Amino acid sequence: MNGWEVAAFVLVIGGIVPALILACRGDAVHRLVGLELASSVGVLVMLVMIQATGQPSYLIVPLVLALLGFAGTLVFTRLLGSKP
Amino acid sequence: MILLWIGVVIAVAAAIGAVVTKDFYRRLHFLTPVTSLAGPVIGLALAIVNGWSLTTLLILLTIVILGVTGPVLSAATGRVAAQRDELE
Repeated sequence: MNGWEVAAFVLVIGGIVPALILACRGDAVHRLVGLELASSVGVLVMLVMIQATGQPSYLIVPLVLALLGFAGTLVFTRLLGSKP
Repeated sequence: MILLWIGVVIAVAAAIGAVVTKDFYRRLHFLTPVTSLAGPVIGLALAIVNGWSLTTLLILLTIVILGVTGPVLSAATGRVAAQRDELE
């Protein structure tokens, strides 16, 4: 296990787990914060894991996640905008 | 490697801070360090390791997209919450 893998592991435990906790409690808008955090930390985890495995061709995955995470969260904000 | 660990510590501290904070509007502030501080620092660490190459360009592009879209999402989420709380 090299340093990059350890860093990715720490990011998953310390970043994704809190994001999942946030995404599981509160009302819909409160849970949206968890989704945003998971998306952001997920991109960073992928970048570090790609460096750890030495496969730069996978870099398209975090790039697409960053773009789709943005669009997806904006869709949620749009749908949650009006009170039901 | 130092830059990588600085970025990891910032991201983890922000995530834990977001969980611990009870107030929603205060919690929103904890998203910004992940995209605007931890992202660029980790990206810089990766760029230094890889040198000038297409890999570095793609990493920096991803980090820039993350840095630009993060505050927009925080603002959009805050606005929706304010509308639902009838603050605006």
